[in-house]
Amino acid sequence: MSKRQVAMVMDLNKCIGCQTCTVACKTLWTRREGMEHMLWNTVNTQPGTGTPHGFESMGGGFRDGVAQRGQRPSVEDFGKAWNFNHEEVFFGGKGDVSLAADGGKHGKGPNWDEDQGGGEFPNSHYFYLPRICNHCTHPACLEACPRKAISKREDNGIVLIDEDRCKGYRFCQEACPYKKIYYNEVEEVSQKCIFCFPRIDEGVTTACSRQCPGRVRFVGYLDDPEGPIWKLVTKHKVALPLHAEYGTQPNVFYVPPLSPPKIDDEGNPTDEARIPTEYLVSLFGDGVHESLKTLERERERNKRGEKSELMDLLIARKWLDMFGPFQKHPREVARNRPIPQNQQKPRAQQVSAIRFYTKEEFKKGGRE
Amino acid sequence: MRTRRVKNVAPMLDPGDPGWASVPVEQVSMMSTPLAMQPTPYIRNSWEGREYGRVEALEVASVHDGQQWALRASWRGVSPAGKDFPDALAIALPVRGKPLLALMGAADAPIHFLRWQANKSGAVSQIATGIGSSAPGPALACSAQARAKGDRWQVVISRPLGGGSDIAPLVAGRKTGIGFAVWMGGNDERGGIKAFSIDWAELALDA
Ligand code: SF4
Ligand code: SF4
Repeated sequence: MSKRQVAMVMDLNKCIGCQTCTVACKTLWTRREGMEHMLWNTVNTQPGTGTPHGFESMGGGFRDGVAQRGQRPSVEDFGKAWNFNHEEVFFGGKGDVSLAADGGKHGKGPNWDEDQGGGEFPNSHYFYLPRICNHCTHPACLEACPRKAISKREDNGIVLIDEDRCKGYRFCQEACPYKKIYYNEVEEVSQKCIFCFPRIDEGVTTACSRQCPGRVRFVGYLDDPEGPIWKLVTKHKVALPLHAEYGTQPNVFYVPPLSPPKIDDEGNPTDEARIPTEYLVSLFGDGVHESLKTLERERERNKRGEKSELMDLLIARKWLDMFGPFQKHPREVARNRPIPQNQQKPRAQQVSAIRFYTKEEFKKGGRE
Repeated sequence: MRTRRVKNVAPMLDPGDPGWASVPVEQVSMMSTPLAMQPTPYIRNSWEGREYGRVEALEVASVHDGQQWALRASWRGVSPAGKDFPDALAIALPVRGKPLLALMGAADAPIHFLRWQANKSGAVSQIATGIGSSAPGPALACSAQARAKGDRWQVVISRPLGGGSDIAPLVAGRKTGIGFAVWMGGNDERGGIKAFSIDWAELALDA
């Protein structure tokens, strides 16, 4: 067991599904060849199939402590990065060509059922569920690997894959019940969220949390009584793990979403929440009942003008307080100077702003 | 098992070379690696009741010309295309001491592997000192060529004679041990999920 554990709490009441976190992660970490389909951070609409599609029925994890067989999600299950015919549309000189993904033969993208949600009008409902690797305390991925390529850092519990030891066997992909491991076909290794450890090591919070305009993500040590995580998870017990029944003891926790009342046939509000509590329980366990009650109670206090530590925390009046000991600006710790103007590559005629670097180019950070 | 001396190994690096017709073939029996020996509970649990390592025998012939050594192995088990894992063959040779083949060597008794896999050209040299420990091996001029004939693979793996710090010795006129492993990629076989030759066979190289 690690001495300490970094953890994240995501407040689902505030997530607006903007995918800024997804893009922050993508641009920072997964721009090498073979990573095109990788989204170490995903945000999906619930109820929904998630990413990879139907991951909750792909097995893995533990039942009564026994490792369960799981499936390896394919690139298509994750949602392939489509190729568009931008060149043809913009520069092809033909007026009747329209934009098509993968020549019109595309499968489902990673966020295929966005905003579909569940329920019937007027009780239709949905909310967003961002997911990263949970840096589990009992990591199924680590325990499945025959190469000891996966380790859990002693000082902060971050779970990392050693790409030099990994042989691409992908037992970890099968074993992870959250299906948060991707396979890089070019580099022939498995890759996943690294909890921005190079930033964490320098006291800078993760890119997804720092970039989040919704102030959804709290970061800190699980056992730090001064930090936000301990307060939300242990003290107020409002933040709950996703699918605790998978048995891996995840270290990402969620504040379940409150919702307006369900409307009955006459159009009157009922006592039930529009997002069925039972559905939330199926994701976050029985703790949902207490959590929602606490949230409502504290919200009422706040409305009455009374002080509520919990509400102050969740509102995140002081943005940096969300990140416990990881409040530094990336600029403060940047070891690499910015690339001088005269060394930057000329901007070639680019139709897509994102370009995938080779491993070598990536290491050089775009320098010639 | 005997390695015959021939004039020139070079043309025989091609598994279809007619020279192989006159080299006697020996059978090596194979079995699946025991489930109990798989290194992680996940692998043991997830392969419980599933068949693997079904290649029962390899047909093996080998030659050297005083400089170069070549071995041709042939077996039934060509997987369909588009699978996650490749068909593969590895030859094991002891570097020193008496390592247990089934344990993939020990700290003081490494095993030198030459491995071919269907989705790559050539062979790679690997060294192992225990299960799950294989690492890049010593540099040596090894090669592999393969062809699929119907449902049979024919693979020639070759390396120079001689030895070196971690290079398993292969010396004309001397004996050593040899072991084999085969993976059927189409059956998701990789790592320890494979067929292997149980124990060392004696390999005697003509003088
Ligand atoms: S979420 Fe999956 S990949 Fe991440 S630590 Fe847990 S088991 Fe491993
Ligand atoms: S950046 Fe924040 S608000 Fe936007 S999708 Fe991600 S978690 Fe939700």
